[in-house]
Amino acid sequence: MIAPQAESATPILEVRNLSKRFGGLWALRDVSFSVAEGQILGVIGPNGAGKSTLVNLITGLSRPTSGQVLIDGRDVTGLRPWAIAHDHVARTFQIVKPFRGLTVRENVAIGAMHGNERDQSVSDSLATADELLVLVGIAQHANDAPNQLSVADARRLELAKALATRPRLLLIDEVMAGLRYAEIEAAVQLIHRLRDSGITIVAIEHVMKAIVSVSDRILVLHHGSIIASGAPQDVLSDQRVIEAYLGNRYAKRRST
Amino acid sequence: MSAGSLAAILQPRRRTRREVLRDWIRSRRPANSWPALVGLAGFAAMLGLQQLIEPGTQRLVTAVFLFVALAQAWNLIGGYTGYASFGQVAFFGLGAYTVAVLMNNYHISFWLAMPVAIVAGVLFAVLIGVPLLRLRGHYFAIATLGAAEGLREIVNNATPITGGGLGITIPTFGDQVPTPYFGKPGFYLAFLILAAASVAACALVARSRFGYAMVAVHEDEEAAGAVGINTTLVKVVAFALSGAIVACAGAFYAFQQIEFYPTDVFDASFTVLMVIMVMIGGSGSIAGPLVGAVGLELLSQFLRVNLGTYNQLIFGAIIVLVVVFFPQGVVNYFREAVRTRRFSILDNVRRYRL
Repeated sequence: MIAPQAESATPILEVRNLSKRFGGLWALRDVSFSVAEGQILGVIGPNGAGKSTLVNLITGLSRPTSGQVLIDGRDVTGLRPWAIAHDHVARTFQIVKPFRGLTVRENVAIGAMHGNERDQSVSDSLATADELLVLVGIAQHANDAPNQLSVADARRLELAKALATRPRLLLIDEVMAGLRYAEIEAAVQLIHRLRDSGITIVAIEHVMKAIVSVSDRILVLHHGSIIASGAPQDVLSDQRVIEAYLGNRYAKRRST
Repeated sequence: MSAGSLAAILQPRRRTRREVLRDWIRSRRPANSWPALVGLAGFAAMLGLQQLIEPGTQRLVTAVFLFVALAQAWNLIGGYTGYASFGQVAFFGLGAYTVAVLMNNYHISFWLAMPVAIVAGVLFAVLIGVPLLRLRGHYFAIATLGAAEGLREIVNNATPITGGGLGITIPTFGDQVPTPYFGKPGFYLAFLILAAASVAACALVARSRFGYAMVAVHEDEEAAGAVGINTTLVKVVAFALSGAIVACAGAFYAFQQIEFYPTDVFDASFTVLMVIMVMIGGSGSIAGPLVGAVGLELLSQFLRVNLGTYNQLIFGAIIVLVVVFFPQGVVNYFREAVRTRRFSILDNVRRYRL
């Protein structure tokens, strides 16, 4: 489980010709890719490229206009979010969604109470939550209300909530946005550790440095379509990608 | 922490039910058992109280017990789950008429009719809950209000079965009564047990996995779904649990009243009182509806006895004042005040103003 599996194995996630149209706008158009178990796939692209829409379609939050999502080779297109979660797929939300009336600890415990990999009792789930809070580094806030957390800690809470469901596939939607340098380093290390424990990760990210160091492969979305994919360095040195989608300033800085 | 222990966290804890129970018993301390102990003490005190008061006064206290059960039931769907139903009286009337029809038309024992009333409540909750729980906020409130009005009209017009607008009477005289009438002391005990059972059931549900699921649905349905909570199921089950308790209360109420009309047991003011009691006491807790129901019902009876004509006016004015000063409910206000050591009521009003 730890080592990335051979190309011939069934990918844990496969997306086939996925499209989503909002009125006259194609938020996502004919997107196809697959992720092998144990891989970390980075998804980048400018605002409005369709990154969050992609996560929403994979996790069942919205239904695709056309196309398919397969988990372990099984078609899960159009299933409800909780059913997808039961297939060991977890996600974080770009705009954090804590359960405000509960403590930080209870927020995390809820993920360990439901789904196929749940604990036997509420007290077990609370113990799981305590361990996860240590893991993501907000154990000192266990009994606080979520709205007392800083932006960075609220993102850590999102991650802990998702991990509590014991996912095999984790989709993280900009968990590093707004973090300081040291915090990003810690987050990158954590993501590597998660992968080493067998979790496949799809990371949507704006923070360039983070995504390059963390990803095995990168996929670039623009206007709802994939315009490049491959090894991080190959994709990022693609002049077209640099100029058009990372901005001219980044291109200049690279060339000096 | 090493990657090894991370892998351990990512494995579910699989203890047997016996181990869970054993550890739970071992973890009991006064500090974590006091709500149950207070509840038991309260129950015992109410049993003792019955010996001290006249049957006429017992009848008044019985109404308090009824509203404790109703408020706890409303809190499950309106408080914990966050779906403010304005049609819970539908279950009350349904329970009442199920018992009355079975006892009057078919001479079935109350003890058989009452469980049937609960089942009817659950079925009706599923029937209207599946479509209506897709609506939120005001839309859900209005739809449930409509459902209750609709059910009352059906009962009103199904004269061959329900007696329609002429009302229905449960046989309590003669040799052939399905179940002997309980009398005032009997109903005091029955409603006390109903209230205690409702409080205990809601307390257990609130502390369970399902209780957390209800709160998660209340706070954010998308986030709840993302962590594997079947939000539709949680909403329908919470609605059905609430409906079951209200229907059971309606069943006892019907037998106590002996004779009643559709307008009595489908009276929207039952729903309004449930909502107000939960809101005033504080929603989303066990103590809130309990305090709200006991406080408001006692206040209402006190005003009715002592103020005569203007009692409703004063009652309404007091409700308005409490809502203005304690928008989060009295119990929640005191919890926050004790935690933050800020008891100023003016601060509280400022904190919650729009």
